[in-house]
Amino acid sequence: MFCIGCGTQLSPDQNFCRTCGHPVRHEPAQTAGSAPSAPQPSMPPPGMPPAGMAPPVRSQPVPVITAAPGVCPWCGAAVDVSQGSCPKCGATLGLPTMKAASGWTQLPARKDMAKLQIGNSSCQIEGTYVPVADMKLAAGDSVYFTHHVLLWKDTQVTVSTMSLRGGWTRMFAGLPLIMTQAAGPGHIAFSKDAPGELIPFTVQAGQSVDVREHMLLAATSNVAYDWFDTNVWFETRNDKDTEVHYPIGRFMDRFNSNSPGLLLLHAAGNIFTRTLAHGQSILVKPTALVFKDPSVDMHLHFEQPGALYSMWGSWGNRYLWLRLTGPGRVGIQSVFERIEGESRNMTRWSNATATQW
Amino acid sequence: MNEKSALACRACGAPLDIRNLVSESGWREAPRIRDMTEIHFNASTCQVEGEIVPAAEINLGSGDAVFFEHHVMLWKEEQVAMSVMQLSGGFKRAFAGMPFIITVAQGPGRIAFSRDATGELVVLPLHPGMELDVREHAFLLSSHQIGYSFVRVKGLCNILFGGQGMYMDRFVTTGAPGLLILHGYGNVFERRLAAGESIMVEPGAFLYKDASVTMDVEFQRLGSGFFGGTNMSLAKMTGPGRVGIQSMYVHHHTE
Repeated sequence: MFCIGCGTQLSPDQNFCRTCGHPVRHEPAQTAGSAPSAPQPSMPPPGMPPAGMAPPVRSQPVPVITAAPGVCPWCGAAVDVSQGSCPKCGATLGLPTMKAASGWTQLPARKDMAKLQIGNSSCQIEGTYVPVADMKLAAGDSVYFTHHVLLWKDTQVTVSTMSLRGGWTRMFAGLPLIMTQAAGPGHIAFSKDAPGELIPFTVQAGQSVDVREHMLLAATSNVAYDWFDTNVWFETRNDKDTEVHYPIGRFMDRFNSNSPGLLLLHAAGNIFTRTLAHGQSILVKPTALVFKDPSVDMHLHFEQPGALYSMWGSWGNRYLWLRLTGPGRVGIQSVFERIEGESRNMTRWSNATATQW
Repeated sequence: MNEKSALACRACGAPLDIRNLVSESGWREAPRIRDMTEIHFNASTCQVEGEIVPAAEINLGSGDAVFFEHHVMLWKEEQVAMSVMQLSGGFKRAFAGMPFIITVAQGPGRIAFSRDATGELVVLPLHPGMELDVREHAFLLSSHQIGYSFVRVKGLCNILFGGQGMYMDRFVTTGAPGLLILHGYGNVFERRLAAGESIMVEPGAFLYKDASVTMDVEFQRLGSGFFGGTNMSLAKMTGPGRVGIQSMYVHHHTE
């Protein structure tokens, strides 16, 4: 057996390569008899044929067509592949989806200037580093958005405020107290000041989705905006200083709709999603979470060394995770912030599980 | 004018074999310059290298020079001579936090520039008679044929709430054509406004405009009925002329 990362010979009991640290994939019994594989390139070569003809090294990202023909791989809308891109979310159609063997799927590619249709209004997504959502609002249609995302607008587009329930508590938590609403007819465009991806999220009638705070760029006005207490927190104490930390924020946004609507989210870096089966769990960096279905449960999870752990009063090697349990879809971003207070002495915390090494 | 077989424009590097990306609302995306594209000006060439944080590498012909602000030089050959361009009003500019020393690099030799942020290089060949206003600190380099000055942003409102400081750089070409390279954060879009046509732009997103375009800050009053509301300031740009914006902008804490 050889390491697929560097080609070093491995013994069967190793879980990681001693030379390069690459995880060792133990082949199932029926393929164990096959010839030792030569070192494989870590990425499939460009233009590699899709599923079926892929080499048997399954720990590599393999382009596969996940959605049935006639269904958009991202939003699930019924589409005609000859259209080139999905009219609901702008995803390029007919392209293989990049799905890692671990189950994460990358946000599908979108052509620059892709156009989304939302009822009588439409939205064009322009640019690739810091994409702009350019909305063409029909008369009677409106969108709402948070602060600091309005890039430009036609002079005739009117903006007003939308009051939110529980304004006070939200302001204490540093959340936007008011949302701004823009009414058509006319053009209005939004962008956020960070390199990343714009996620068009279509909300079907009766569907709900939970989004981490500050991810919303804009939403069509038929999508109701609500929020809930995350109940994910921990308390640290340093001498007499007690501090409460909220690794995913104190509140989370919840969007639901009785008619089809569109959410535009902005996340940093690259975006990956997966669907968790009932009872299936995954640990993610709390600040990497972008969205989840309301059916997905979340709580803190600590991973730390046993016995010696507090000898030096240092918690530098303790990991703080967010445990997500299915059923439902979750989305994460590849750029995340450091969690404040992670390595300090913790006194209390919300519902959590733990693993000791 | 380019040869039929050319893949990129000699003057600005824009790829010629792909069509312009123009949104339905009229914004044209700054042409994505292909990696390693060569641009010609006078006796010099410029190569734009890299894509995420592109660098502009200039091969200066003898007698040619470029000028630039601090903190944008990436590397240079030893023989490229450096000097300082003296500007009028230096004290005022220093007070406003602007660089009041502009450095000049004299050919022959190679020198390269980049800026420390994800974005695009906007290559603007300027023809005689053109006047362009640019957001302060946004210019990466300019060839010596272009006259550099600055204008005070008009109106106290504009200065305080315009989100772009007190001065704008103004580039004027008189005799010969020249090359101006700007750096915009994120993606850059341009739109040509007809005479009298207006658009409201987030002040932090403004990147450049023709001198004929006027800019005024307008307040949008947003009442919440609780604390008496908040204000949102937007710059009203009125044509005729071009307006350039960037999609990633610096927050300004005025409201």
